[in-house]
Parts: sequence; structure tokens; C-alpha cells
Amino acid sequence: MGLYENIRSEPVSRLAIREPVVVGPEVLVRDAVQCMRQQKLGCAIVVDNDRKPIGLFAESKLTRLLSERPTALEDPILMHLDMAWPTVSLTDPISCVLSALEVANIRFLIVVDNAGRLAGLTGQKGLMEYFAEHFPRQVTVQRIGGHPYPLDREGA
Amino acid sequence: MTDNCMPSKEPEEFRDPLQNYDPKVYRDPLEQALAEETVAAMQMKPIAKVDQNTPVHAAVETLARLHVSCLLVEQDGRLIGVFSDRDVLERVALEYDQVHNLPISEVMTTNPVYAYESDSAAAALTIMAVSGFRHVPVTNIEQQVIGIISPQRVNEFLRKHIMNQQ
Repeated sequence: MGLYENIRSEPVSRLAIREPVVVGPEVLVRDAVQCMRQQKLGCAIVVDNDRKPIGLFAESKLTRLLSERPTALEDPILMHLDMAWPTVSLTDPISCVLSALEVANIRFLIVVDNAGRLAGLTGQKGLMEYFAEHFPRQVTVQRIGGHPYPLDREGA
Repeated sequence: MTDNCMPSKEPEEFRDPLQNYDPKVYRDPLEQALAEETVAAMQMKPIAKVDQNTPVHAAVETLARLHVSCLLVEQDGRLIGVFSDRDVLERVALEYDQVHNLPISEVMTTNPVYAYESDSAAAALTIMAVSGFRHVPVTNIEQQVIGIISPQRVNEFLRKHIMNQQ
């Protein structure tokens, strides 16, 4: 099967699903940022008692907060969540991820299970890795860095 | 020079040793696009650039105002670093009081991996998927920055070629 068929038939669970940073709604932005740093992730997800996502705090929001009001780091994260963040189910086709990322112009997608509970995080990185894995003959042979042509003459 | 140094007869008609090679066959149109189109086929602009002496607070404000997640940092027209949302997270946010007036060169990511405009589109995908860099500056042969490839722009390129298969 070609890629076109694969992204329509293979489920989101086929992508690399990362363990997200999960914090409670009362946590301060500063503490959430500390967790994001430690886990080297660009977002934190707030869930309710049933582990259903309430919203997402992304690093782009952090930049905006710093530019407008640096003291916002002492606010509860609930004040600065994006509540309507798109989600995909583990069983949705991968094409849903591609569409959602493009339509919403975002980097992360919340992945939920069939009951709507948080199952992980995916996004552009997971999708890139999926495409790279699909075309190893093109992607794994690339020269990274260096100069596009020899700077010195070769030979005598 | 003796006669035996001279060619004794006319050379045979030139035959291209590659003439019997079959053209490369791709199993997917997207694979062909990744191999045969260049980075320049992706959307590379607009770009946001700042000077290395720009204060951190001004760079953060620029990121927010322009709704971009990466600034290219230049010195004398040459790329020397990038400053992105990830740098804000890792080196600026919790230390903002101490660093907000420092020059951006103190907190930026130095020696970014970049692509040349003549590199194949697959190179941009490699830098993101294999090397793990989210933004890929694009330079010309004189090492002047002429664009930047973001994950969104790669997605757009991939989606365009995938949809062409319908």
C-alpha cells in the first residue's frame, strides 16, 4: 500500500505517542514550566479527576504571557489554558492528525482513548517520524550540515 | 615525442556508460517529490530576523507580536543562531528578571542545523525527524538566510503531494 492508503487505514496508535506533562488546574504556571523543562516537552495538559483533558498550555502561550505580563508565571495555570484544544482518538486514522495539525496550525494533539481519557500526546514530531520511516531510502541518506559543493579542488 | 605515444587510430565512437540505466522508479509520488524537489519548493517565507544584540525582552515581544515560534539571529548578514519558543521555555521564562535585558546572543541556540536552497526536500524532513530540530533555516550558497522551514510548512508540502494521489 502507498502512503495515501496507509494514512487512511493505520490508526493514531501507530504514531509515536509521548507521555505528556500532566498537572492539576491549581498548579502555578511557573511550576508547570518547571515540569515541561524537566521532561523536555513543549506543553502541559490539565486533566479532571476522571483523567479527561480540560485544556492545554503550550510554550507559545508562555511566550505571549512573558511579553504581556511576566508576573503571570505566578497565576494558576487554569487562567491561561487553551480549553478547546483538538483531540484525536487512538483509533482514528492518521489522516485525522495531518488535518487537525494543519487546520488548527498547532504542534501538539491530545490523544484520548475510547472513553475520552488522556492517552498521550502526539503531533508534528510524531507525524514527521512516521513519514521518515515510510521513506527511509530518501530520508536516512541525507547529508546534514556541511557545504553543498567541495570548497577545494579534488586531486592534483 | 615518439610516434608510439600518439594514438594509433581514431577513438571509437563515444558511448555513454550510463545510457542503459533505467530511470529511477519511485513507489510513491511523495517519495518522488521528496527526492526530486528542492527545499525551495516548500514555503520558506515570511521569515523573522533579529540582530544578535537585540535584548531578550524585545525578542520575546517580537515572537508574540508576529505569532511566530522562531527568530533567526544574524550577524553581518550571516546566520549565527535561532531563538525559539523552546529557548524561551528552557533558558528565559523562569529567569526572566535576570535575563530580559541581556542580548539575545546570550540565550539563543547557536550553530543551528540548516539546509541549502538546493538541498532536496527530504533534507528538511531529515533535519526534523531524525536530527530533531523543529525549524530549519534555509541559506543560499553565500550562507545568507533566505528562508525558514517550519513543521507546518513541511506538513503543507507533504499534504499537497499526498492529496495529489487521490
